[in-house]
Amino acid sequence: MNDFNRDELRRALRTPSDHGADAFGSIVKATSGLNFARSLSRRRFFVAGGATVSFAALVAACGGSESTGIARLGDAPTPNKLVEAEVTDITLLRTATSLEHNAIFVYEAVASAGLLTGDAAEIAKRFLDDHRAHAEATASLTTDLGGKAYTQPNPRLQSVYIEPALKLIVGDEATGIPPTDDPAADVLALAYALETIAGSTYQAYVPLLADKSLRVAAMGIGDQEARHAALLGVVLNPARLVSSMGLSIAAEYQEEGETQTAYASPSAFGTQAPVPVTLGAANESGIRTNVNLETPSLNSMVYEYLDAEG
Amino acid sequence: MSTTPVTSTSDKSAATPPRRPTSADIELLAFAQAAELTARDLYEQAVAEGAGGDQIGSLAALAAHHDAYAQSLSALLGTDAPQARNDELFSSLKSGFGSNTESTALAAHELENTLVVTHTDLLGRLDGTEGAALVASILIGESRHCAALAALAGKSPVNDIDLFLTTSDVESLAPQA
Repeated sequence: MNDFNRDELRRALRTPSDHGADAFGSIVKATSGLNFARSLSRRRFFVAGGATVSFAALVAACGGSESTGIARLGDAPTPNKLVEAEVTDITLLRTATSLEHNAIFVYEAVASAGLLTGDAAEIAKRFLDDHRAHAEATASLTTDLGGKAYTQPNPRLQSVYIEPALKLIVGDEATGIPPTDDPAADVLALAYALETIAGSTYQAYVPLLADKSLRVAAMGIGDQEARHAALLGVVLNPARLVSSMGLSIAAEYQEEGETQTAYASPSAFGTQAPVPVTLGAANESGIRTNVNLETPSLNSMVYEYLDAEG
Repeated sequence: MSTTPVTSTSDKSAATPPRRPTSADIELLAFAQAAELTARDLYEQAVAEGAGGDQIGSLAALAAHHDAYAQSLSALLGTDAPQARNDELFSSLKSGFGSNTESTALAAHELENTLVVTHTDLLGRLDGTEGAALVASILIGESRHCAALAALAGKSPVNDIDLFLTTSDVESLAPQA
């Protein structure tokens, strides 16, 4: 059936390369009796030819106007060019202003819904006033640098953290979220996390700001945000003001029982880690929702080019 | 407004500041380390004398915080770290850190406020970003100490809210150029 000796060809291919010309000669010898014309019969020629034409038509149909010389199937979408956005001092200040407006939004929403009363409402009112002053200060610094001040809540933080968190507190009929059992406690817990993140944001800006004088202005505000968080820690956990977690101190000074989520001073250094907060009503298993708040990342900064996008 | 992915993270229009402390930075950070060791020793003195009541553990934790600050500054400074407290500062403040919780808390509140002002001053003068980032992290910690100490002094978060939230009008301790 075969027109060449397969055993001889296999032996030739197995021959080590250092046999050189002898090995090549063996291949020639093994294929010398092969009749290619008889192997590719007339009928097979038409079948093969048809397949070639069909493949060529497919390639032609899929290809663009510019040939790369490389055959391909399908038409890849043109990739979106990433924006060359720079994190300038103006970007950082606009993002800071947007974060202040997130806080303003929360405190205004809480006040209009009457979720806090008494001392807690008084404290929240003071915090609201402070955040309005911070927003004015960062907006003013933005315009001083020649930028356009941003006057809205940070859209990404608003959609990812703020609005879902508020729905967990007040409930949302449309999505079947029931209101929390203790709105005041949840609002204070959310405010604690939000104020902590605000302080962390200004802290994170310090090595990023090109103008050293802006570090002073930023941390003047960061100082206040940290104090807001600490005051809420005092209210939420008056039994232990300074956590011993992670500290090498004598056993008699370690706190007893489980560690809490809120302290006036939860750690020695300002954190850059996500801040967890537990909110909302418990589900049928008794579990409440955990939300991790984080400082604005590169994709949630308020770049100047975004104004043009609308 | 959309949140389009971005590719660049640096401000190319500004000169890149150094990461490591400059020689001028080292002098300022060394001062800061001595100040932190002074604060640690003052809190340890108060704890040894029995201040704090139910919150004595919090005072001990505050001493540990300042020790942690000193160690971090030491790691940044290496052999340039003084590794010793500022004796003059310690002597001027030690009488406030006794057995009485309220008076100790108020003295500590004043000290922490002074450290916040000092570190804010340093941030405007440091060139290296590593030193500035560390000082900013310490500053946030000490801001929170101020509110904790106002509570330890028995002050009301509502009626005395400025003691919790407002930085005192004090001078920076840092050596001026």
